[in-house]
Amino acid sequence: MLKAIRDRIRAKFEDYTTTTIEIVASATIGLIVGAIILYMFGYDVIRCYSIVFTKGVRDINYLLTKASPIMMTGLAFTIPMIAGVFNIGGEGQLYVGALTSILVAYYTHNILLAATTGALAGAGIGALIALLKVYRGVNEVITAIMLNWTLYYIVLYLITNIYYDPTIPHQSIPVPEDARIGYIASPWGSIRATFFIGVVLALIAYYVLYYTKLGYLLRVSGLSPRSAKYAGFDPNKAIIYSMILGGAFAGIGGALLTLGYVPYIDTTMSIVFGQGFTGIGVALLGRNNPIGIIFSSIFFSVLIIGGQMMELLTGAPPELADVLTGVIVISLALPYAYRMMISYVRTRRMIQ
Amino acid sequence: MIEDILSILSNTLIYMVPILLASIGEIINERSGVVNIGLEGILTLAAFTATVLTFTTGNPCLGLIIGLLVGTASGILHGVISVYLRGDQIICGIGFNAFAYGISVMGLVTIWQQHGASPPVDTLPMITIAGRYSISPLTILALLIAVIAWYWLFKTSSGLKLRACGEDPHAAEAMGVNVLRTRFLATILGATLAGLGGAYLAVGWIGQFTRAIAAGRGFIALANVAFSNWNPILAILGSFIFGFFDVLSTYLQIKVQAIALTYPLKAIPYIGTLIVVATFIGRARMPKALGKPYIKE
Repeated sequence: MLKAIRDRIRAKFEDYTTTTIEIVASATIGLIVGAIILYMFGYDVIRCYSIVFTKGVRDINYLLTKASPIMMTGLAFTIPMIAGVFNIGGEGQLYVGALTSILVAYYTHNILLAATTGALAGAGIGALIALLKVYRGVNEVITAIMLNWTLYYIVLYLITNIYYDPTIPHQSIPVPEDARIGYIASPWGSIRATFFIGVVLALIAYYVLYYTKLGYLLRVSGLSPRSAKYAGFDPNKAIIYSMILGGAFAGIGGALLTLGYVPYIDTTMSIVFGQGFTGIGVALLGRNNPIGIIFSSIFFSVLIIGGQMMELLTGAPPELADVLTGVIVISLALPYAYRMMISYVRTRRMIQ
Repeated sequence: MIEDILSILSNTLIYMVPILLASIGEIINERSGVVNIGLEGILTLAAFTATVLTFTTGNPCLGLIIGLLVGTASGILHGVISVYLRGDQIICGIGFNAFAYGISVMGLVTIWQQHGASPPVDTLPMITIAGRYSISPLTILALLIAVIAWYWLFKTSSGLKLRACGEDPHAAEAMGVNVLRTRFLATILGATLAGLGGAYLAVGWIGQFTRAIAAGRGFIALANVAFSNWNPILAILGSFIFGFFDVLSTYLQIKVQAIALTYPLKAIPYIGTLIVVATFIGRARMPKALGKPYIKE
């Protein structure tokens, strides 16, 4: 009995160690490759990195506000991922959520209604991707990317031709003052409630995934669709539910962005662009765990803000953040390699 | 009217090339069991390097070659990770897309101090037909490659061995095929063709690098692979259809002359692709072991 418990603790501990090694190694590889590329392009690597990691964390409010939407798009990738579906449509789902929230907030001045409709809009797009996969056999990756581009242009059309701000050119109508997310006092100054809403939602996602029947259905279907079928679950249902949930989270990400950060969408789409794709990196670095995602969203927020500051001070392009994301994601695709490495080190130690 | 139709058709032969090359490449590696969704990234990175080399040397042929080699290098990376290190192929592809976009735009900003597009560079000469319609020599090359790839995959024994690796790798191994090596080489070949497509995009057709130069073509090629049922000959038809949507979008933007409609018209290639794929894909049968790492017993 005691031995069994001890073994279980040891197994858990080993799990955590492996995960930690994976995360740290991936981030390190990312930073090293980033350094090599900065050096190749002739920038001062040490100065760039020190700016990223000092200026990136200077303004806690800004840091956490920027982390919130990518935390949501991270969840938008993770929930379907756990059910075995790749939702790379977080980008388009966030666009739709952002625009819907702006419109509802503008016309009703009701913040809760705005956020809810934003979530529903995202969920609708998620559902469309899932339905095409289940009933038409279209790969979700293809649908998602085609929808991302389509929605990009549709949102642009709507904010330039119908819902534009007549007083300020190149902007959509704004979220009215009385429908914006407020601040909460904290020891680090006042912080927008956006981040705390995000954390609560992430915790809810964790609860749903690990403590409810729905979460169980998603996890079983993701691990083995065949066993899910034997257990009487319909894996197709898992695909649809997980994409609806994922889409809803991306939609809320859009709502948090417009209700709690920049109250409009500009015609360069710079405010919404890339939030969904960054979410994929956030999800993977958070090891597809909602709690891990809270922390990894802050890490990516540092990279993004730090990248902007780096551009301001040294002229090095902020796309460094994309390079780092890319390399980190590639390194995270390699759990087998890390496990091999760990067992190699361990056997070496045993021999000695 | 007939003029318009003819010019749309001849433009389609120019627009379809990157999609076709990337599709053939992807068909080859997917037939061997490796999926590479990093096509978009390969197109971008190859277009960027081709532009840089053409800009410095003034020779678009060199640009084409470097783009091809960048494709090869990307294929080696993806091959090592997905075949030998048994990494997750989709995640690796997603990461590569972000990486390739990031490094290309960093290069764009660093080399030319431009955030949107590079200065124009020389392009490969076009072949003029009937005095007014032009097609690229790469169009002919891509069509040839499609036919060769089809013949190789379906009519030769090495092609059969490659397909066996994607259908049932254990049976292939028992037959004496080196599954890991076959998959690795197929991945490299596939990515090389995508690299050629990317280089063509910049120095064979558009004549400069822009940050959104790939514009989803990598994913349209992925859609085309499923649409064509993993058959290079059918991929020609698919590329023609998807390339046609692209031409139609550009043509209507010029013809309609309504600024308000620019954005909806720009969405045509993506909506069109989605509709075609959702309508026709139903019966497609993908290679059985696609995307699953092969573990030797």
